Amino acid sequence: MKEFARLLIALTLIAAISGGILAAVESVTREPIAEQRRLQMLRALSAVLPAFDNSPDSDTLTITTGSDRQGREVETVFYRGRNEEQLVGTAFRVVAPDGYSGNIAVMVGIRPDHRVHAIEILTHAETPGLGDKINEPWYKALFVDKALDRNDWRVKKDGGDFDQLTGATISARAVVGAVRTGLELYREHEDKIIAQGDNP
Amino acid sequence: MSLATDFKRGIWKENAVFKLLLGLCPVLAVTTSAENGLGMGLATAFVLVCSNAVVALFRHLIPAKVRIPCFILIIASFVTVVQLVMEAYAYELFQALGIFIPLIVCNCLILGRAEAFASKHPVSHAVADGLGMGAGFTLVLFILGGIRELFGAGEFLGFSVFGAGYQPVILMILPPGAFITLGLLLALMNKVEKR
Repeated sequence: MKEFARLLIALTLIAAISGGILAAVESVTREPIAEQRRLQMLRALSAVLPAFDNSPDSDTLTITTGSDRQGREVETVFYRGRNEEQLVGTAFRVVAPDGYSGNIAVMVGIRPDHRVHAIEILTHAETPGLGDKINEPWYKALFVDKALDRNDWRVKKDGGDFDQLTGATISARAVVGAVRTGLELYREHEDKIIAQGDNP
Repeated sequence: MSLATDFKRGIWKENAVFKLLLGLCPVLAVTTSAENGLGMGLATAFVLVCSNAVVALFRHLIPAKVRIPCFILIIASFVTVVQLVMEAYAYELFQALGIFIPLIVCNCLILGRAEAFASKHPVSHAVADGLGMGAGFTLVLFILGGIRELFGAGEFLGFSVFGAGYQPVILMILPPGAFITLGLLLALMNKVEKR
């Protein structure tokens, strides 16, 4: 019993000290980490939105846009870019669940005329040299100015308008599907996105 | 045994990767470029030195029966510190290394040194051992990453080496490239040793 208490005390002490140190480090790094994430978000937003003069990461609208396989609600945050108070584009994150290796997160920027302004790949784990070509500028440029009712949102192999990537049709299909989902989401929620115009 | 011997042992004679074949998961997984290899190596070396020091410092206080959970707690704390600091001040590297940062916790090299060396030696020797092992580990990751980056992307540390016309050997960036390169390096090591 006495030994048991000794073991317990040793473990508890070490755990407590570790916890204390971690709490201290966390409180020091919290702000730089938040800032890094914000900067990364802003970089992605500037890449997919037309020139704006507001800060889209604070001009947001969160809408419940569906549910995942476990039935939990999925929320999409819409970031609105404005120039001289005028809405010039809306950006949001769409996740393609059907990548070749895991999810592909895509940031899509859509202009008020329902066309894609630009897309950016946020995270992916596609095969280097094959599937990761989805992250090359020429590939992302394929989506510029495309719209739901003007284009066939499938890869060419399936009879659509979009180039597949040699050896990586699955990756290309996933991205095309994600951007199409994005355009559909935008159309579905457009009135809300435009209506709450003066939200800070 | 002097401090210098403890330090040197980890670099060549008992090199973690080439001789002990420990900690191979990060060795194979993150060495797609010299920079990633260096970053991972330094992160691991930092955790190794710190955990070795703390384990050696408390070696008389930690009861033998719960030593492994104690070591893991100490190691996990330092790994979390590295993770937080890296995310705050080296975000790009943090993203490139991804899941392999938290996985340093289960790098058997670190637990192995805590158990086999640090828990039996004074702090100064444990630190020397950690520095040597860490340096050896970093060196291997840097070399492996450099070779794979050179052939797999035609670059070294992000600078183009073979020019724009070079057709990268994609295999080298993929997991098999890691096994092949490591195997060839091991063969080379053995050859050198035999002389």
